[in-house]
Amino acid sequence: MVMRVVFVVVSLFTLVMAFMVVSHPTLFSSALYLVATFLGVAGLYVLLEADFLAVVQVMIYVGAVSILIIFAIMLSRGMMGKRTSSHNRQAKWVALASLLLAILLLYFITVLMRWPAVQAGPVPAGAIQMLGQDLVGRYVVPFEVASVLLLVALVGAIVLAREREI
Amino acid sequence: MNLLDPQTIAPWFIKVVGSLGLSAFWTQLIWDVIGSVSLVLFAIVSILFIVWLERKFAARVQDRLGPNRVGPYGLLQTIADTIKLLTKEDITPATADRVSYNIAPILAVFSVFMVMVVIPFAKGVSGADLNVGVLYITAVSSLGIMAALMAGWSSDNKYALIGGFRVVAQLLSYEVPMVMAMVSVVLVSGSMSLQKIVGAQAGGRWFFWVMPAVFLLYLTTALAENERTPFDLLEADSEIVAGYHIEYGGIKFAWFFLTFFLNTLFLASFAATFFLGGWRGPFAEQVPILGFVYYFLKTTLVIFFMMWVRATWPRLRIDQMMSFAWKVLVPTSLVLVMITAIILKLGLSPFWETGLLLISNLAVILVVLGFLGRALRLGIERPKRRVVA
Amino acid sequence: MTITMPSVSLMPYLPEIILLVTALLVLLVDTVWGDKRWLVWLAFLGTLVSGVAVWWLAQGPTLQLQDMLTADAYALFIDMVVLIVAAISLLLAYDWLIEHNEQQGEYVALLLFATVGMMTMGAAINVVTIFVALEILSLSLYILTGFARERLTSGEAALKYFLLGAFASAFFLYGAALLYGSSGHLDLIGIGQNLGTGGLMAGAGVALLLVGFSFKVALAPFHMWTPDVYQGAPTSVSAFMSVGAKAAGFAAFLRFFQVALAGSYAQWGPALAALAVLTMTWGNLAALRQESLKRLLAYSSIAHAGYALVGLAAGNSLGSSGLLFYLLAYAFMNLGAFGVAIMLEKPGSGDVMMSSLRGTSRQHPLLAATMAVFMFSLAGVPPLAGFFGKLYVFGAAVEANMAWLAIVGVINSALSAYYYLRVTVLMYMRDEEAGEEEVAVSKPPVLVFALVVALFFVVIVGLWPSVWMQMAQQAALIFG
Repeated sequence: MVMRVVFVVVSLFTLVMAFMVVSHPTLFSSALYLVATFLGVAGLYVLLEADFLAVVQVMIYVGAVSILIIFAIMLSRGMMGKRTSSHNRQAKWVALASLLLAILLLYFITVLMRWPAVQAGPVPAGAIQMLGQDLVGRYVVPFEVASVLLLVALVGAIVLAREREI
Repeated sequence: MNLLDPQTIAPWFIKVVGSLGLSAFWTQLIWDVIGSVSLVLFAIVSILFIVWLERKFAARVQDRLGPNRVGPYGLLQTIADTIKLLTKEDITPATADRVSYNIAPILAVFSVFMVMVVIPFAKGVSGADLNVGVLYITAVSSLGIMAALMAGWSSDNKYALIGGFRVVAQLLSYEVPMVMAMVSVVLVSGSMSLQKIVGAQAGGRWFFWVMPAVFLLYLTTALAENERTPFDLLEADSEIVAGYHIEYGGIKFAWFFLTFFLNTLFLASFAATFFLGGWRGPFAEQVPILGFVYYFLKTTLVIFFMMWVRATWPRLRIDQMMSFAWKVLVPTSLVLVMITAIILKLGLSPFWETGLLLISNLAVILVVLGFLGRALRLGIERPKRRVVA
Repeated sequence: MTITMPSVSLMPYLPEIILLVTALLVLLVDTVWGDKRWLVWLAFLGTLVSGVAVWWLAQGPTLQLQDMLTADAYALFIDMVVLIVAAISLLLAYDWLIEHNEQQGEYVALLLFATVGMMTMGAAINVVTIFVALEILSLSLYILTGFARERLTSGEAALKYFLLGAFASAFFLYGAALLYGSSGHLDLIGIGQNLGTGGLMAGAGVALLLVGFSFKVALAPFHMWTPDVYQGAPTSVSAFMSVGAKAAGFAAFLRFFQVALAGSYAQWGPALAALAVLTMTWGNLAALRQESLKRLLAYSSIAHAGYALVGLAAGNSLGSSGLLFYLLAYAFMNLGAFGVAIMLEKPGSGDVMMSSLRGTSRQHPLLAATMAVFMFSLAGVPPLAGFFGKLYVFGAAVEANMAWLAIVGVINSALSAYYYLRVTVLMYMRDEEAGEEEVAVSKPPVLVFALVVALFFVVIVGLWPSVWMQMAQQAALIFG
């Protein structure tokens, strides 16, 4: 019972924050709401007893991704504090379409779909060790290749941002 | 209850309160609340002391007397200052973004208090012995950066904004080598749980002896993460007045002030936990209450070191600071992690493993210092060359 | 606590690893070596060694790495195509790089990284691997597109490509998530076995994945980025991505549909056929009125994606092998066409206008003849490589009882002949006014060599298609 209340509260928090991200007129505030959304998602992970994922979520999304986003916003001049409308003239229709889509999706997800009921067992002890072993075992190729991806991004960022030698 | 063994307090309490007829849920809840409140109180009281200590210490270094009016040796000076701060008028700049402006100090303090949870004070005594402890520390401390950014932006002040920029640039840059230093520790101890890390330093095999280079790396980054000299560019008075919290006054400023010293405390206690054996010491296993004493002694030692550096060193220039992080610390930390991993992979006997780690760490220190010395000499010569050309 | 490290043999990944090491070496050598020309040759050597590794893997039994990667005949065929593309692209870029005189090491390294991504896509048998490989490929290409930093169009193209590409990646990822939700598996075989009748979620997942793939290989209506990007990017990069990314994209595309969705051909076959018709018609119609050679080639590449898709829509083994053959043939002729464009390009402009082609044949008869061969091949004139590519995929459509699709394809080929011939005619036209004007052409030896190689293969593949077709058939055998 308590868990259910907590779940509802955390989910509502996440949803409201997510809504604020797209609706707030100030770009910087949107980014801050994004942080709150990420924290809400981390809370959901905690409720699912995925502590490790929750911590990683906070570390990567709050600690790295959001800060980079905010930094980018701060560095692009003209964005600071300026109230830029995030809507154009079609806002009404988009809102209507999103609402319809949301209702449709809810209908599909809750009524039409036959979700197989999975009995959630307790989280096995040493789940992190298993995760680590999978990363260097079964998923070794995507895991290692992802580091190549990061290297590419690193080289690319330097290529694009480096001052031109004249 | 055995007073010498703090581990027995919790079961005793639960038994006593449980006998009053409360359900297990409420008993646990009351115990948790008592635990959290005492943790927070402990931190705040230590801060009062640390602030006094720092002022006194800096005064001695600079041949002054330091606070000496309020109370014996000026001991109550901090309390007086706190009362002054708390009773000051609460000001919010008219153009500030109210929500972020007010949330920022709370978030700042919140993030450091959350770190407290995993500190092992004595054998079996810590708020929560998370098995992802080290990861948790890194994750939560990144919230602090967020708070500084929010404060810098929402104040609507140029100096505050520049301070915010510097926070991100500096803290993110130094977080990389710091996490790498922690990774080395985690590799050697084989766990991310802080209690197990302390456990792995049994028998005087403190990681300070095993990995002095990693320890130095951690201390350096800790100084930077704590925004202390020589890395105190975030609040360099002569450049940006006070940095991201320039617009804050009264109680809100007190929060940031508290955050700063809490950070000192925690970074020092992690240094003690990771490298100086945490609560370990003679008879700490048999008489667990001694663990508190050892823990405090070691933490205070590290804090003293940090104060010493602060009182005696000049400040770095911002480009020097950034290139020091990316060109010296990050490569060094990567090399150290690789060396550690390779040595552990060799599967040697503990004696040889420790010895090899120590030798390689000393070698890394020598090499890095050699390179640094060469770079410094070249750096001094460079302007001359330019003049000739 | 002891942690046992799982033992993994990375042997099936050997060709990619060789290229990766080469790329890292290039980055390293770049910092210490003054003469940047050697970087290109080092990378070229890397592609050759990697090619040897591919050949060596082809001799032994099929190796597989967990349920992530495989080095079967199909993957090796794609490796071969991609390596050839990378090697020729390096040669095409050689002189531009030397002249451009900026960040050569990064260019070469990124090109190699992109190649690794392409090869991994061909070898991937797991959605996770496909995605990571796709991202490596895309990221490298975004950056390569913006490499000519002195031109604004290059930056614009890179930004456009990046924004749209990020959307496409998101679609792909969402589709993968839905597929995982409905089948409980991420490896293609597992998805194929557990998808069952599919249902709504699986259908949505496949549709989203299709969007992701369509973007990468530039199928209409997800092709909007293509003309701008090909025009804005440095021409050597356009050459590389127009064939390399297409080959890699189709490789994963084909494997995914043939392995994971083999059971539901009845659903996706007609959909892909419709997509193919739309793509080739759109591409050809838009190409008719282009005044820039690079834009024309961009629209032509969209049309060719449509032809190639016919092979996939046919769904039979001739279709699969035909598609593979098509990718190979297309690689040579399109690289060649872009190579000629590099020669005709005015320094700094980054593009070739159709009007400036006039009278090329008078001053540079050999160059004009070479371009004519590539154009004829692209149009599908026998006995060049392009003709047999079309023959096989349209044949597959007929075999799959989709004669109408083949007819649409033939009509489209006739339509495309107009603009390909227009290029040729312009080059051979004796315009009295423009004819005397000097046509600026640079003919550096390395570029000439690359063109000769492309020309040689266009003719060889056209004259002896059976050799290559056998290899393609061998590769397509894995679909059973």
